Amino acid sequence: MKRNSSSAGRFIPRNSGIKPWLFILPAALVFAVFMFYPLIYTVYLSFFDWNMIKPVKEFVGLQNYFDIFKDPNIGKIFGNTLIYIILLLIFDFIAPYIFSFILSFVIKMGKNFYRSVIFLPSVISLVVGTMLFVWILNPISGPAAKLMGLFGLTAPVWSTTQGLVIVIISIMTSWKIFGYNFIVALSGMGGVPLEVIEAARMDDIPLHRIFLNIVVPMSSSTGIYVLILSIVQGMQQVFTPINMITQGGPDYGSTNLIYNVYNEAFGFYKTGTASAYAILMLLLFGVLLFLEFKYVEKGVYYEN
Amino acid sequence: MKIKGIFKDGQIFWHILMFILILISVCPILFAFTGSVKTLEDLYNGGFFPREIIFDNFKRIAAAVPIVRITLNTFIIAACVTAFKVITSTLAAYAFVYFDFRGKQIIYFILISTIFIPFTVTMIPNYLTISKLGLVDKIFGVMLPQLADASGIFLIRQAMRAVPKPLTEIAHLDGISELRILKDIIIPVTRPAIISTGIIFFINSWNEYVWPTLILRSNENFTLSLAMQVFTDSEGGVEYTMTMAMAVITMILPIALYLIFQRYIMSTFASSGIKG
Repeated sequence: MKRNSSSAGRFIPRNSGIKPWLFILPAALVFAVFMFYPLIYTVYLSFFDWNMIKPVKEFVGLQNYFDIFKDPNIGKIFGNTLIYIILLLIFDFIAPYIFSFILSFVIKMGKNFYRSVIFLPSVISLVVGTMLFVWILNPISGPAAKLMGLFGLTAPVWSTTQGLVIVIISIMTSWKIFGYNFIVALSGMGGVPLEVIEAARMDDIPLHRIFLNIVVPMSSSTGIYVLILSIVQGMQQVFTPINMITQGGPDYGSTNLIYNVYNEAFGFYKTGTASAYAILMLLLFGVLLFLEFKYVEKGVYYEN
Repeated sequence: MKIKGIFKDGQIFWHILMFILILISVCPILFAFTGSVKTLEDLYNGGFFPREIIFDNFKRIAAAVPIVRITLNTFIIAACVTAFKVITSTLAAYAFVYFDFRGKQIIYFILISTIFIPFTVTMIPNYLTISKLGLVDKIFGVMLPQLADASGIFLIRQAMRAVPKPLTEIAHLDGISELRILKDIIIPVTRPAIISTGIIFFINSWNEYVWPTLILRSNENFTLSLAMQVFTDSEGGVEYTMTMAMAVITMILPIALYLIFQRYIMSTFASSGIKG
């Protein structure tokens, strides 16, 4: 796929003056008004004290950024963000990567069936997924509580339990995005020659060694893409269960950078602080974007 | 021979592992379908299958919210957003593949980078824009900011790049206009990719939650995802059987689309991982 442009050979695209710009214009117009202008305006708002209603915005310089670090909940917000990222990486990067290895090279039958079913939750609204898990995990009558009851265990009230609340919200979110990441990882492994794996298995090399020493290096550009996807998509998707069930609680126990921007903006109407938080999040994603272009787009790995 | 294969070389262990994964994926969906036709008492105390199939939950939803209108809202938003995204993406992708112009690489890079901009960064200004236009609590206000999509440009560009170039070069020599070339040569050849990109847009818009939550206020303007919450945050806790029925109404169309267009969707999603 990567060499498409060069494999086209003698073809030289035409330089046709204004025409290409007319083709790009409709998309560019939407992006300009609803993506780039807001981006700049958010940076602008982060230097002002405002509440969306007051006629005058008061310039406060970097004060909103300093205020973030004086926020008594700053530790929880950043700490939780980190925990979410780690959990999302386990559920939506490492797990699908391992499972796509199993499906590609270990299992011999029913591949298409497994693939189709595993992808299914990806087409379902996370609002639906969240509510279904709320039912399954409800401590009074949910199927999980009944199952635990068989073993004499009591189901915890997860939504008000510090720590556990983040794990459950990450699981709900992962239920939706696992399938998509799985399919992408699977396609990356399609680039690993089957003969290499078969030769390794003939030599009785253990599966975990085949995975770590052959498959991971040979599919690493897709791997990094899935890693970034897990964070970028996952962090935005966790907003849904947080907003539906906990609103960041108990006592900021399930909030994170993304949810906090929403809370500051539409809960407290502090556009300055909200924008400053948003810009911090953007910088974090900017680092990921840099990694994406450095390692994935250029395809510096062995994958072809 | 084939059946034996499952038991050979410890294959059974891996199948059990995959089966557990499938169970986690599918169980919530099955619970929704069976729960939606149960009585509340049956849901709490009964087994997996309903003792008696009742459609009471659906009737109660129809009595509580304008469900037909809500479904229609969701459909109109998803259909319009999809149509616009497909058109703007196809036009832009054509420019990036078949023209050479100053700053092409950098403009493409900037557009694709927007995939990495979290919604929180654009949310406040976009809300202010929509409210200035008087579009708060209007389904048009939900659509407006999403009429173009970077991932669409990416996916359709991938498909167009695979089209042999001589096909269009001959058309150019014959003096056929760019729009005719796009319409009569490129679109027919890349139709599978364009259709599946469209289906992906439709499903994503159908399922959208964050932006509609900010914009829509009244029940009759809600989308399905928002209507779900009507039955959940009432103070007595969650109305589970109605929630299940609402879940079924919300997910039935995406599931149907997925089952019908499965092969298209899979290959397009998979190609999004292979960067070009």
